[in-house]
Amino acid sequence: MTQDVEMKEAQVQPPPPSNSVSPAASPSTLQHLKEIASLIESGAYLKEVRWILRAVRLTIMLRRKLRAPVVSAFLCFALTPGSDAHSKLSSYIPKEEEHDMEVDTATSGIQGPGKHPLPELEMYCYMLVLIFLIDQKKYNEAKACSSASIARLKNINRRTVDVLASRLYFYYSYSYELTNSLAEIRGNLLALHRMATLRRDELGQETLLNLLLRNYLHYNLYDQAEKLRSKAPRFEAHSNQQFCRYLFYLGKIRTIQLEYTDAKESLLQAARKAPIAARGFRIQCNKWAIIVRLLLGEIPERTVFMQKGMKKALTPYFELTNAVRIGDLELFKTVAEKFSSTFSSDRTQNLIVRLRHNVIRTGLRNISISYSRISLADVARKLRLDSENPVADAESIVAKAIRDGAIDATIDHANGWMVSKETGDVYSTNEPQFAFNSRIAFCLNMHNEAVRALRFPPNSHKEKESAEKRRERQQQEQELAKHIAEEDDDEF
Amino acid sequence: MGTKRKEQREEEIACEDGSSSDGGDAALGRFKAAFLRNDFGTCANLLAQLKVLLTKFPSLPPSFQVTPNAVQELSIARDIYEHAVVLSVKTEDQDAFERDFFQLKPYYTDTCGVIPSSPQEYPILGLNLLRLLVQNRIAEFHTELELLPATALENPCIRHAVELEQSFMEGAYNRVLSARQSVPHDTYVYFMDLLAKTVRDEIAGCSEKAYNYLSIADAKKILMFSLDQELNEYIAEEHPEWEIKDGCVFFQKVKESQPCKEIPSLQLINQTLSYARELERIV
Repeated sequence: MTQDVEMKEAQVQPPPPSNSVSPAASPSTLQHLKEIASLIESGAYLKEVRWILRAVRLTIMLRRKLRAPVVSAFLCFALTPGSDAHSKLSSYIPKEEEHDMEVDTATSGIQGPGKHPLPELEMYCYMLVLIFLIDQKKYNEAKACSSASIARLKNINRRTVDVLASRLYFYYSYSYELTNSLAEIRGNLLALHRMATLRRDELGQETLLNLLLRNYLHYNLYDQAEKLRSKAPRFEAHSNQQFCRYLFYLGKIRTIQLEYTDAKESLLQAARKAPIAARGFRIQCNKWAIIVRLLLGEIPERTVFMQKGMKKALTPYFELTNAVRIGDLELFKTVAEKFSSTFSSDRTQNLIVRLRHNVIRTGLRNISISYSRISLADVARKLRLDSENPVADAESIVAKAIRDGAIDATIDHANGWMVSKETGDVYSTNEPQFAFNSRIAFCLNMHNEAVRALRFPPNSHKEKESAEKRRERQQQEQELAKHIAEEDDDEF
Repeated sequence: MGTKRKEQREEEIACEDGSSSDGGDAALGRFKAAFLRNDFGTCANLLAQLKVLLTKFPSLPPSFQVTPNAVQELSIARDIYEHAVVLSVKTEDQDAFERDFFQLKPYYTDTCGVIPSSPQEYPILGLNLLRLLVQNRIAEFHTELELLPATALENPCIRHAVELEQSFMEGAYNRVLSARQSVPHDTYVYFMDLLAKTVRDEIAGCSEKAYNYLSIADAKKILMFSLDQELNEYIAEEHPEWEIKDGCVFFQKVKESQPCKEIPSLQLINQTLSYARELERIV
């Protein structure tokens, strides 16, 4: 489970190089960070949430290059040295003697941009320190730092902070998960979710709902998870990653509650929507989706198991599928035992137990297709039912399969036979028509969803602003850009 | 013996914290005595009193205050609710069972670190699984099952319920019925009897689809009746559409899907129109 988070983190795709970060030579990490800081500042002034979003993405790109001196230098730059936040945050950074060149140049120019740093910038510093601590595997410090950031967040109510806040929530929960103490923060997360709802912070709600679901599912509390999920407000997804996760959790809950058709839909959708780089997450989705499809009586195609980079992880499930496909109880048992450690670490053991019933069904279906008449004793032997009274067992199992519509046959009790019915010509019924219709409906629906997912520039539907107003606005923007550029120059 | 020890403990608490459990010890003692006598009326009365008294313990869920008496208070409360669950089985009251079980559950899930686990835990959890099975609440059955650690599945009480569910899903009804002989706990018998009734209905449902006809003797055996009389009554009551003649039971076959003779025109028109509308939107 932790694996997929890591993957998800790494997958945030860098945006195409924007004009703010397109230097000819590759500048130092610190300089990058400063550019990001200015991006956040201008985002905060203009109330442009997307700039902050971009800043977060750029930070993830820099993630591997973060070193203690760089981080502490950046803290000195962004926060007033000696201030409350600065001293608190820098206490988490380990002091190191070695100074490399880039730090020397940086430390010479310590001049805070303003006396009162923006809350956005402060929160960004928290996030940076957290990422750094988690990457350095200092989980206890990360826990302390994240708790401090959450306490600080509660007092800030600005829409431009929301993006950063949702990242902080994530690292908060993640650092507690790494130290295996998720249960402690459940109450806090619930309070935060309430707060985000009151502030109409939809991204925060989305993130927190997922974190809560993850928290519940970590302890197998499916009942509570479903109750929360069904009562929490739903709205159009803001972040694709969060939506993927939501679908995955939803799929898991529905699988446990035997709603296999819905579960399959959400799991497959989650696997499809997840970015290519999120391999761990997609593997998880695929594992669950395979089991759900087997439980539904479908046999997943071979291509599912041969997806790039997943072959090894899906091998146990491939062999399991094979056993179900053949309908061999013995083989199924051996596979289940052979990979029982994998299945229990995937927490799918109980689902595998449920599959036994499907193995019998498939076996029975094969028999029913091959023989027009077969004695129940033979059925019991072919299914390898081992009990005191295999014939009676076989009879009732066949009877139930007939009632559930799995096979089309009748039982002749007096002679102890199962008589399969002639398979009728399916093309003489309405079935093909239904199948055709459902496929067309699927395609049309897909097209409509695609149209709905198109993004348009904001406010384009509004009436055109007057020429004068536009000139005024452009002038303002230019001034601001110049101002920021000047500030940048000042630093060096 | 265990009862006495618990009474003593209750008394100790009463001494230490006299105000919070006035007469609680006496009530608990009388409740347990009545419980052993199977005097259910008295038990129910005393239980109601005890539950009110329990509300005065500050360390119980959901507040979980840390007090010096927390361990004793939690153990006593758990003990009372465990008795309440068993009592509801004895009085054959499924609603009371559900209520009491939900009150008991936090003591199993949320107090692991505080009090030692109860020997009654798995029998009662197994009983609850069985109840969900009887009431055909399979989704909840699996939700509860997920909460149990892997080691719990080894426990005979839990395994009993899990195996029952499997046999039930497969359709191996003989195994379900023979499981009644091997109940791990005598409180299970009540639910097993209820399960037998559910199983009979299931078998009847399967039989009418699977067989064209059955001789009366076979039908009796399959549906687990010993007398023709019982079979006749059952058929008259539950399945009046079955026909008895020439010593056989004939099941009325549900009409099978016939090759379609006529074109479902209205439906087709609707579909075609909707395709046209959608296509127009695209082009």
